Amino acid sequence: MNNLAIIETILRNRHRFFTEIRGGVELGQKMRAMLVSSMAFLALYGAVMGSTHSLWQALSSAAKLPLLFLATLVVCSPTLYFFNLIFGSDQSLTQNFALILTAITVTAVLLLSFAPIVLFFLLTTSHYQFFKLLNVGVFTVAGVVGVTFLSQGMRVVSASGKEGAQARRNVLRLWILIYAFVGSQMAWTLRPFIGAPSMKFELFRQLGGNFYANIFASIGEILGFFTVR
Amino acid sequence: MKDQQPSRVDQMLNLLVEEIEERMRVGKGPPPAAESLAVEAPIPPVVPQAEPVKSVEAVAEPEVEVVEPVEAVAGFEEMELEERWQPPAPAVSPKAARLMGRLALGLLVAIVLINIPLNRHGTTLATAMPDSAALIIRDGLVVKEEDDEEIYVLQDGKLRWISSLDAFEHFGFTWGDVHIVEDGFLDQFEKGTPLHVLLKCRDSPHIYRLEGGVKRWIVDIAAFEAEGHVWEDVQFVSCGHLRDLPDGETIPPGHGPPPQP
Repeated sequence: MNNLAIIETILRNRHRFFTEIRGGVELGQKMRAMLVSSMAFLALYGAVMGSTHSLWQALSSAAKLPLLFLATLVVCSPTLYFFNLIFGSDQSLTQNFALILTAITVTAVLLLSFAPIVLFFLLTTSHYQFFKLLNVGVFTVAGVVGVTFLSQGMRVVSASGKEGAQARRNVLRLWILIYAFVGSQMAWTLRPFIGAPSMKFELFRQLGGNFYANIFASIGEILGFFTVR
Repeated sequence: MKDQQPSRVDQMLNLLVEEIEERMRVGKGPPPAAESLAVEAPIPPVVPQAEPVKSVEAVAEPEVEVVEPVEAVAGFEEMELEERWQPPAPAVSPKAARLMGRLALGLLVAIVLINIPLNRHGTTLATAMPDSAALIIRDGLVVKEEDDEEIYVLQDGKLRWISSLDAFEHFGFTWGDVHIVEDGFLDQFEKGTPLHVLLKCRDSPHIYRLEGGVKRWIVDIAAFEAEGHVWEDVQFVSCGHLRDLPDGETIPPGHGPPPQP
Protein backbone atom coordinates (compact mmCIF):
# COMPACT_ATOMS: atom_id res chain seq x y z
CA MET A 1 0.00 0.00 0.00
CA ASN A 2 1.28 3.42 -0.91
CA ASN A 3 2.32 5.19 2.27
CA LEU A 4 0.79 8.49 1.23
CA ALA A 5 -2.32 6.97 -0.31
CA ILE A 6 -3.30 5.62 3.07
CA ILE A 7 -3.32 9.11 4.49
CA GLU A 8 -5.65 10.17 1.73
CA THR A 9 -7.93 7.28 2.62
CA ILE A 10 -7.90 8.29 6.29
CA LEU A 11 -8.71 11.89 5.51
CA ARG A 12 -11.29 11.33 2.79
CA ASN A 13 -12.94 8.07 3.73
CA ARG A 14 -12.26 7.51 7.37
CA HIS A 15 -15.41 5.44 7.97
CA ARG A 16 -14.24 2.81 5.51
CA PHE A 17 -10.76 2.93 6.98
CA PHE A 18 -12.03 2.36 10.52
CA THR A 19 -14.37 -0.39 9.30
CA GLU A 20 -11.37 -2.11 7.77
CA ILE A 21 -9.50 -1.81 11.04
CA ARG A 22 -12.50 -3.34 12.78
CA GLY A 23 -12.41 -6.19 10.28
CA GLY A 24 -8.65 -6.52 10.64
CA VAL A 25 -8.15 -5.92 6.92
CA GLU A 26 -4.46 -5.52 6.06
CA LEU A 27 -3.69 -4.17 9.51
CA GLY A 28 0.03 -4.79 9.21
CA GLN A 29 0.29 -2.96 5.91
CA LYS A 30 -1.81 -0.09 7.16
CA MET A 31 0.26 0.30 10.29
CA ARG A 32 3.51 0.17 8.37
CA ALA A 33 2.30 2.79 5.91
CA MET A 34 1.05 5.07 8.69
CA LEU A 35 4.27 4.63 10.65
CA VAL A 36 6.51 5.47 7.69
CA SER A 37 4.54 8.50 6.55
CA SER A 38 3.91 9.95 10.00
CA MET A 39 7.53 9.53 11.07
CA ALA A 40 8.70 11.22 7.85
CA PHE A 41 6.33 14.15 8.36
CA LEU A 42 7.22 14.52 12.01
CA ALA A 43 10.91 14.47 11.14
CA LEU A 44 10.36 17.25 8.62
CA TYR A 45 8.44 19.36 11.09
CA GLY A 46 11.11 18.72 13.71
CA ALA A 47 13.76 19.91 11.27
CA VAL A 48 11.81 23.11 10.65
CA MET A 49 11.57 23.76 14.39
CA GLY A 50 15.25 23.10 15.00
CA SER A 51 16.39 25.24 12.08
CA THR A 52 15.76 28.33 14.16
CA HIS A 53 18.87 27.46 16.18
CA SER A 54 21.39 25.57 14.06
CA LEU A 55 21.85 22.72 11.64
CA TRP A 56 22.68 20.35 14.50
CA GLN A 57 19.50 21.32 16.30
CA ALA A 58 17.52 20.77 13.09
CA LEU A 59 18.95 17.26 12.74
CA SER A 60 18.44 16.54 16.42
CA SER A 61 14.81 17.71 16.38
CA ALA A 62 14.17 15.75 13.19
CA ALA A 63 15.16 12.62 15.07
CA LYS A 64 13.57 13.52 18.40
CA LEU A 65 10.09 14.53 17.28
CA PRO A 66 9.20 11.10 15.78
CA LEU A 67 10.78 9.55 18.86
CA LEU A 68 8.53 11.66 21.08
CA PHE A 69 5.36 10.41 19.38
CA LEU A 70 6.56 6.81 19.22
CA ALA A 71 7.54 6.74 22.87
CA THR A 72 4.21 8.28 23.91
CA LEU A 73 2.41 5.68 21.81
CA VAL A 74 4.31 2.84 23.43
CA VAL A 75 3.82 4.21 26.93
CA CYS A 76 0.10 4.95 26.58
CA SER A 77 -1.37 2.24 24.37
CA PRO A 78 -1.39 -0.62 26.96
CA THR A 79 -3.50 1.51 29.31
CA LEU A 80 -6.13 2.11 26.67
CA TYR A 81 -6.14 -1.53 25.61
CA PHE A 82 -6.53 -3.04 29.07
CA PHE A 83 -9.11 -0.52 30.25
CA ASN A 84 -11.14 -1.15 27.10
CA LEU A 85 -10.83 -4.85 27.74
CA ILE A 86 -12.18 -4.44 31.26
CA PHE A 87 -15.20 -2.60 29.92
CA GLY A 88 -16.15 -5.21 27.36
CA SER A 89 -14.21 -4.26 24.24
CA ASP A 90 -13.32 -7.04 21.83
CA GLN A 91 -10.54 -5.07 20.13
CA SER A 92 -7.11 -6.54 19.83
CA LEU A 93 -3.98 -4.69 20.91
CA THR A 94 -3.01 -4.38 17.25
CA GLN A 95 -6.31 -2.68 16.46
CA ASN A 96 -5.76 -0.33 19.38
CA PHE A 97 -2.28 0.38 18.18
CA ALA A 98 -3.56 1.02 14.66
CA LEU A 99 -6.16 3.47 15.94
CA ILE A 100 -3.66 5.45 17.99
CA LEU A 101 -1.31 5.38 15.02
CA THR A 102 -4.14 6.84 12.94
CA ALA A 103 -4.39 9.72 15.41
CA ILE A 104 -0.62 10.24 15.22
CA THR A 105 -0.74 10.13 11.43
CA VAL A 106 -3.48 12.75 11.30
CA THR A 107 -1.49 14.90 13.74
CA ALA A 108 1.62 14.48 11.60
CA VAL A 109 -0.23 15.44 8.42
CA LEU A 110 -1.58 18.57 10.08
CA LEU A 111 1.87 19.44 11.40
CA LEU A 112 3.22 19.08 7.88
CA SER A 113 0.51 21.37 6.59
CA PHE A 114 1.43 23.92 9.28
CA ALA A 115 5.15 23.64 8.52
CA PRO A 116 5.23 26.33 5.77
CA ILE A 117 3.58 28.79 8.19
CA VAL A 118 6.07 27.96 10.92
CA LEU A 119 8.88 28.30 8.38
CA PHE A 120 7.55 31.70 7.39
CA PHE A 121 7.60 32.89 11.00
CA LEU A 122 11.03 31.38 11.48
CA LEU A 123 12.37 33.56 8.68
CA THR A 124 10.49 36.73 9.55
CA THR A 125 10.60 36.93 13.32
CA SER A 126 13.28 36.08 15.80
CA HIS A 127 11.29 36.20 19.00
CA TYR A 128 12.10 32.92 20.68
CA GLN A 129 9.18 32.91 23.12
CA PHE A 130 6.72 33.74 20.36
CA PHE A 131 8.13 30.96 18.18
CA LYS A 132 7.86 28.54 21.07
CA LEU A 133 4.23 29.46 21.76
CA LEU A 134 3.42 29.32 18.06
CA ASN A 135 4.64 25.74 18.01
CA VAL A 136 2.73 24.87 21.16
CA GLY A 137 -0.40 26.25 19.47
CA VAL A 138 0.24 24.27 16.31
CA PHE A 139 0.80 21.07 18.28
CA THR A 140 -2.35 21.67 20.29
CA VAL A 141 -4.52 22.10 17.19
CA ALA A 142 -2.97 19.11 15.41
CA GLY A 143 -3.18 16.98 18.55
CA VAL A 144 -6.84 17.81 19.19
CA VAL A 145 -7.79 16.90 15.61
CA GLY A 146 -5.72 13.72 15.93
CA VAL A 147 -7.48 12.53 19.07
CA THR A 148 -10.83 13.44 17.52
CA PHE A 149 -10.02 10.92 14.80
CA LEU A 150 -9.06 8.43 17.48
CA SER A 151 -12.38 8.98 19.21
CA GLN A 152 -14.32 8.46 15.98
CA GLY A 153 -12.26 5.39 15.18
CA MET A 154 -12.89 3.91 18.60
CA ARG A 155 -16.62 4.35 18.11
CA VAL A 156 -16.55 2.53 14.78
CA VAL A 157 -14.18 -0.22 15.84
CA SER A 158 -16.07 -0.88 19.08
CA ALA A 159 -19.48 -0.79 17.39
CA SER A 160 -19.94 -4.54 17.75
CA GLY A 161 -19.52 -4.55 21.51
CA LYS A 162 -22.45 -2.46 22.79
CA GLU A 163 -21.96 -3.57 26.36
CA GLY A 164 -20.07 -0.98 28.39
CA ALA A 165 -19.99 1.45 25.48
CA GLN A 166 -20.55 4.47 27.73
CA ALA A 167 -17.84 3.34 30.13
CA ARG A 168 -15.43 2.88 27.22
CA ARG A 169 -16.21 6.37 25.99
CA ASN A 170 -15.36 7.73 29.43
CA VAL A 171 -12.19 5.66 29.49
CA LEU A 172 -11.21 7.12 26.16
CA ARG A 173 -11.78 10.68 27.40
CA LEU A 174 -9.66 10.01 30.44
CA TRP A 175 -7.03 8.32 28.33
CA ILE A 176 -6.82 11.34 26.02
CA LEU A 177 -6.02 13.48 29.06
CA ILE A 178 -3.34 11.02 30.16
CA TYR A 179 -1.98 10.94 26.62
CA ALA A 180 -1.70 14.73 26.61
CA PHE A 181 0.08 14.76 29.98
CA VAL A 182 2.47 11.97 29.05
CA GLY A 183 3.14 13.61 25.68
CA SER A 184 3.92 16.99 27.18
CA GLN A 185 6.16 15.50 29.85
CA MET A 186 7.91 13.39 27.23
CA ALA A 187 8.44 16.52 25.14
CA TRP A 188 9.88 18.27 28.18
CA THR A 189 12.24 15.36 28.82
CA LEU A 190 13.44 15.23 25.22
CA ARG A 191 13.82 19.01 24.87
CA PRO A 192 15.21 21.15 23.30
CA PHE A 193 13.32 20.96 20.02
CA ILE A 194 13.75 24.60 19.08
CA GLY A 195 16.90 25.50 20.96
CA ALA A 196 17.27 28.79 22.84
CA PRO A 197 19.27 31.13 20.60
CA SER A 198 21.65 32.22 23.34
CA MET A 199 22.59 28.70 24.27
CA LYS A 200 24.88 26.25 22.59
CA PHE A 201 23.49 23.18 20.88
CA GLU A 202 22.72 20.37 23.25
CA LEU A 203 21.09 17.06 22.46
CA PHE A 204 19.19 16.92 25.74
CA ARG A 205 18.86 19.60 28.35
CA GLN A 206 19.10 19.05 32.08
CA LEU A 207 15.89 18.07 33.76
CA GLY A 208 14.19 20.64 35.92
CA GLY A 209 11.10 22.79 35.75
CA ASN A 210 8.13 21.57 33.82
CA PHE A 211 6.38 22.12 30.54
CA TYR A 212 3.44 24.09 31.91
CA ALA A 213 5.51 26.45 34.05
CA ASN A 214 7.71 27.16 31.04
CA ILE A 215 4.76 27.95 28.80
CA PHE A 216 3.36 30.21 31.48
CA ALA A 217 6.72 32.02 31.71
CA SER A 218 6.83 32.43 27.93
CA ILE A 219 3.37 33.95 27.87
CA GLY A 220 4.44 36.25 30.69
CA GLU A 221 7.47 37.42 28.74
CA ILE A 222 5.51 38.01 25.56
CA LEU A 223 3.00 40.10 27.49
CA GLY A 224 5.88 42.01 29.05
CA PHE A 225 5.38 40.93 32.65
CA PHE A 226 8.89 39.58 33.11
CA THR A 227 11.97 38.30 31.32
CA VAL A 228 12.82 34.62 31.32
CA ARG A 229 16.30 34.30 32.80
CA MET B 1 -43.14 3.56 -29.43
CA LYS B 2 -45.86 3.75 -26.83
CA ASP B 3 -45.40 0.01 -26.14
CA GLN B 4 -41.68 0.38 -25.52
CA GLN B 5 -41.91 3.32 -23.10
CA PRO B 6 -43.54 1.51 -20.16
CA SER B 7 -41.07 -1.33 -20.37
CA ARG B 8 -38.15 1.08 -20.04
CA VAL B 9 -39.81 2.73 -17.10
CA ASP B 10 -40.44 -0.72 -15.71
CA GLN B 11 -36.79 -1.48 -15.95
CA MET B 12 -35.91 1.71 -14.13
CA LEU B 13 -38.46 1.03 -11.45
CA ASN B 14 -37.24 -2.52 -11.01
CA LEU B 15 -33.75 -1.26 -10.53
CA LEU B 16 -35.00 1.27 -8.02
CA VAL B 17 -36.96 -1.33 -6.08
CA GLU B 18 -33.96 -3.65 -6.02
CA GLU B 19 -31.78 -0.89 -4.73
CA ILE B 20 -34.29 0.06 -2.04
CA GLU B 21 -34.66 -3.56 -0.98
CA GLU B 22 -30.93 -3.97 -0.79
CA ARG B 23 -30.58 -0.87 1.33
CA MET B 24 -33.35 -1.95 3.65
CA ARG B 25 -31.69 -5.34 3.99
CA VAL B 26 -28.36 -3.85 4.90
CA GLY B 27 -29.90 -1.54 7.49
CA LYS B 28 -28.27 1.62 8.74
CA GLY B 29 -24.61 0.83 8.01
CA PRO B 30 -23.67 2.09 4.57
CA PRO B 31 -22.74 -0.88 2.36
CA PRO B 32 -19.73 -0.63 0.16
CA ALA B 33 -21.95 -0.87 -2.92
CA ALA B 34 -24.05 2.04 -1.70
CA GLU B 35 -20.88 4.04 -1.27
CA SER B 36 -19.80 3.47 -4.83
CA LEU B 37 -23.30 4.34 -6.00
CA ALA B 38 -23.19 7.49 -3.95
CA VAL B 39 -19.95 8.45 -5.60
CA GLU B 40 -21.55 8.15 -9.01
CA ALA B 41 -24.75 9.94 -8.04
CA PRO B 42 -23.94 12.52 -5.42
CA ILE B 43 -27.44 14.03 -5.25
CA PRO B 44 -29.98 12.07 -3.21
CA PRO B 45 -32.09 10.13 -5.67
CA VAL B 46 -35.40 10.98 -3.99
CA VAL B 47 -36.29 14.29 -5.58
CA PRO B 48 -35.36 13.64 -9.21
CA GLN B 49 -37.18 10.31 -9.17
CA ALA B 50 -40.53 11.77 -8.18
CA GLU B 51 -41.15 12.99 -11.73
CA PRO B 52 -40.57 9.74 -13.65
CA VAL B 53 -43.01 7.97 -11.31
CA LYS B 54 -45.69 10.54 -12.09
CA SER B 55 -45.09 10.19 -15.78
CA VAL B 56 -45.58 6.44 -15.45
CA GLU B 57 -48.94 7.04 -13.83
CA ALA B 58 -49.98 9.35 -16.66
CA VAL B 59 -48.83 7.18 -19.51
CA ALA B 60 -49.47 3.67 -18.27
CA GLU B 61 -52.84 3.68 -16.59
CA PRO B 62 -53.34 -0.14 -16.38
CA GLU B 63 -50.12 -0.71 -14.46
CA VAL B 64 -51.34 1.11 -11.38
CA GLU B 65 -50.75 -1.86 -9.11
CA VAL B 66 -47.06 -1.79 -10.05
CA VAL B 67 -46.71 1.94 -9.66
CA GLU B 68 -48.50 2.30 -6.34
CA PRO B 69 -46.19 0.01 -4.33
CA VAL B 70 -43.23 1.76 -5.90
CA GLU B 71 -44.66 5.10 -4.86
CA ALA B 72 -45.17 3.77 -1.38
CA VAL B 73 -41.68 2.38 -1.24
CA ALA B 74 -40.31 5.56 -2.76
CA GLY B 75 -42.05 7.55 -0.06
CA PHE B 76 -40.58 5.28 2.58
CA GLU B 77 -37.24 5.52 0.91
CA GLU B 78 -37.52 9.29 0.94
CA MET B 79 -37.95 9.26 4.69
CA GLU B 80 -35.22 6.70 5.13
CA LEU B 81 -32.75 8.49 2.92
CA GLU B 82 -33.49 11.86 4.46
CA GLU B 83 -32.62 10.33 7.80
CA ARG B 84 -29.45 8.57 6.81
CA TRP B 85 -28.29 10.40 3.75
CA GLN B 86 -24.88 11.87 4.19
CA PRO B 87 -22.84 13.81 1.69
CA PRO B 88 -21.12 11.19 -0.40
CA ALA B 89 -17.42 10.74 -0.08
CA PRO B 90 -15.69 12.25 -3.05
CA ALA B 91 -13.95 9.91 -5.41
CA VAL B 92 -10.49 9.17 -4.02
CA SER B 93 -7.91 10.58 -6.33
CA PRO B 94 -4.22 10.51 -5.63
CA LYS B 95 -4.01 14.30 -5.91
CA ALA B 96 -3.82 14.98 -2.18
CA ALA B 97 -1.23 12.26 -1.68
CA ARG B 98 0.82 13.71 -4.52
CA LEU B 99 0.46 17.20 -3.09
CA MET B 100 1.53 15.94 0.30
CA GLY B 101 4.59 14.31 -1.21
CA ARG B 102 5.49 17.51 -3.02
CA LEU B 103 4.96 19.58 0.10
CA ALA B 104 7.25 17.28 2.04
CA LEU B 105 9.88 17.46 -0.70
CA GLY B 106 9.59 21.24 -0.89
CA LEU B 107 9.99 21.52 2.86
CA LEU B 108 13.06 19.33 2.78
CA VAL B 109 14.63 21.56 0.14
CA ALA B 110 13.70 24.68 2.14
CA ILE B 111 15.20 23.22 5.32
CA VAL B 112 18.45 22.47 3.51
CA LEU B 113 18.54 25.94 1.93
CA ILE B 114 17.96 27.86 5.14
CA ASN B 115 20.64 25.87 6.91
CA ILE B 116 23.41 26.51 4.39
CA PRO B 117 26.08 28.74 6.00
CA LEU B 118 26.22 32.12 4.24
CA ASN B 119 29.51 33.38 5.68
CA ARG B 120 32.61 32.12 7.43
CA HIS B 121 30.96 32.58 10.82
CA GLY B 122 28.38 29.97 9.91
CA THR B 123 25.43 32.35 9.79
CA THR B 124 22.51 30.74 8.00
CA LEU B 125 19.37 32.25 6.58
CA ALA B 126 17.44 30.76 9.49
CA THR B 127 19.65 32.46 12.06
CA ALA B 128 20.50 35.66 10.17
CA MET B 129 18.13 38.06 11.92
CA PRO B 130 19.27 40.21 14.85
CA ASP B 131 18.04 38.21 17.77
CA SER B 132 17.84 40.48 20.80
CA ALA B 133 14.15 39.62 21.19
CA ALA B 134 15.02 35.96 21.06
CA LEU B 135 17.72 36.02 23.70
CA ILE B 136 17.46 34.27 26.97
CA ILE B 137 19.36 36.53 29.32
CA ARG B 138 21.77 34.37 31.26
CA ASP B 139 25.34 34.26 32.48
CA GLY B 140 27.85 33.62 29.72
CA LEU B 141 25.79 35.31 27.01
CA VAL B 142 28.10 36.94 24.47
CA VAL B 143 26.62 39.97 22.74
CA LYS B 144 27.53 42.74 20.39
CA GLU B 145 25.49 45.68 19.17
CA GLU B 146 24.98 45.91 15.43
CA ASP B 147 27.00 49.08 14.82
CA ASP B 148 29.51 48.67 17.63
CA GLU B 149 32.69 46.63 17.47
CA GLU B 150 32.89 45.95 21.19
CA ILE B 151 31.95 42.48 22.34
CA TYR B 152 30.62 41.87 25.83
CA VAL B 153 29.95 38.88 27.98
CA LEU B 154 27.26 38.85 30.63
CA GLN B 155 28.50 37.72 34.04
CA ASP B 156 26.60 38.08 37.33
CA GLY B 157 24.11 40.34 35.63
CA LYS B 158 26.86 42.73 34.48
CA LEU B 159 28.27 43.29 31.02
CA ARG B 160 32.00 42.74 30.83
CA TRP B 161 33.82 44.13 27.84
CA ILE B 162 36.14 41.67 26.12
CA SER B 163 39.08 43.95 25.56
CA SER B 164 40.91 42.17 22.74
CA LEU B 165 40.75 39.35 20.25
CA ASP B 166 43.36 37.52 22.33
CA ALA B 167 41.11 37.80 25.35
CA PHE B 168 38.17 36.62 23.25
CA GLU B 169 40.09 33.52 22.20
CA HIS B 170 41.75 33.07 25.59
CA PHE B 171 38.38 32.78 27.31
CA GLY B 172 37.24 30.20 24.77
CA PHE B 173 34.64 32.21 22.90
CA THR B 174 33.90 31.63 19.23
CA TRP B 175 32.17 33.79 16.65
CA GLY B 176 29.26 31.42 16.78
CA ASP B 177 28.69 32.47 20.40
CA VAL B 178 28.29 36.14 19.54
CA HIS B 179 24.70 37.37 19.36
CA ILE B 180 24.20 40.58 17.45
CA VAL B 181 21.58 42.81 19.01
CA GLU B 182 20.03 46.13 18.06
CA ASP B 183 21.90 49.31 18.98
CA GLY B 184 21.03 50.51 22.45
CA PHE B 185 19.88 47.09 23.63
CA LEU B 186 22.86 46.77 25.99
CA ASP B 187 22.16 50.08 27.71
CA GLN B 188 19.82 48.36 30.12
CA PHE B 189 22.68 46.37 31.66
CA GLU B 190 25.15 47.50 34.29
CA LYS B 191 28.78 47.50 33.14
CA GLY B 192 31.23 45.29 35.01
CA THR B 193 35.02 45.16 34.92
CA PRO B 194 36.43 44.39 31.46
CA LEU B 195 37.81 41.01 30.56
CA HIS B 196 41.49 41.38 29.72
CA VAL B 197 44.16 38.99 28.70
CA LEU B 198 47.57 39.37 30.30
CA LEU B 199 50.65 38.70 28.24
CA LYS B 200 54.10 37.66 29.32
CA CYS B 201 57.13 36.14 27.63
CA ARG B 202 59.45 33.62 29.27
CA ASP B 203 62.60 35.74 29.00
CA SER B 204 61.11 38.74 30.77
CA PRO B 205 59.66 39.23 34.27
CA HIS B 206 57.20 41.92 33.12
CA ILE B 207 53.52 41.36 32.66
CA TYR B 208 51.49 43.42 30.22
CA ARG B 209 47.77 43.82 29.78
CA LEU B 210 46.46 43.79 26.23
CA GLU B 211 43.82 46.43 25.84
CA GLY B 212 42.40 47.78 22.60
CA GLY B 213 45.40 46.61 20.60
CA VAL B 214 48.10 48.15 22.88
CA LYS B 215 50.10 46.59 25.70
CA ARG B 216 49.99 48.20 29.12
CA TRP B 217 52.73 47.35 31.60
CA ILE B 218 51.54 46.37 35.07
CA VAL B 219 54.15 47.92 37.26
CA ASP B 220 54.01 45.60 40.30
CA ILE B 221 52.15 42.79 42.08
CA ALA B 222 50.10 45.26 44.10
CA ALA B 223 48.77 46.85 40.90
CA PHE B 224 48.21 43.38 39.45
CA GLU B 225 46.04 42.35 42.39
CA ALA B 226 44.36 45.72 42.70
CA GLU B 227 43.06 45.30 39.13
CA GLY B 228 41.51 41.98 40.13
CA HIS B 229 43.75 39.85 37.93
CA VAL B 230 44.63 36.25 38.62
CA TRP B 231 47.58 34.21 37.39
CA GLU B 232 45.30 32.02 35.30
CA ASP B 233 44.68 35.01 33.03
CA VAL B 234 48.35 35.27 32.09
CA GLN B 235 49.05 33.99 28.63
CA PHE B 236 52.59 33.20 27.46
CA VAL B 237 53.62 34.52 24.07
CA SER B 238 56.91 35.08 22.31
CA CYS B 239 58.94 38.14 23.36
CA GLY B 240 59.11 39.23 19.73
CA HIS B 241 55.33 39.33 19.53
CA LEU B 242 55.18 41.37 22.73
CA ARG B 243 57.80 43.81 21.48
CA ASP B 244 55.83 44.34 18.27
CA LEU B 245 52.78 45.55 20.18
CA PRO B 246 52.55 49.34 20.63
CA ASP B 247 52.89 50.66 24.19
CA GLY B 248 50.01 52.16 26.11
CA GLU B 249 49.74 53.88 29.46
CA THR B 250 51.17 51.95 32.41
CA ILE B 251 49.02 50.44 35.14
CA PRO B 252 48.70 52.48 37.32
CA PRO B 253 49.42 55.48 35.07
CA GLY B 254 52.36 57.83 35.40
CA HIS B 255 55.26 55.40 35.64
CA GLY B 256 57.06 56.63 32.57
CA PRO B 257 57.95 54.67 29.48
CA PRO B 258 57.38 50.95 30.04
CA PRO B 259 60.30 48.50 29.89
CA GLN B 260 60.46 46.30 26.82
CA PRO B 261 60.35 42.56 27.27
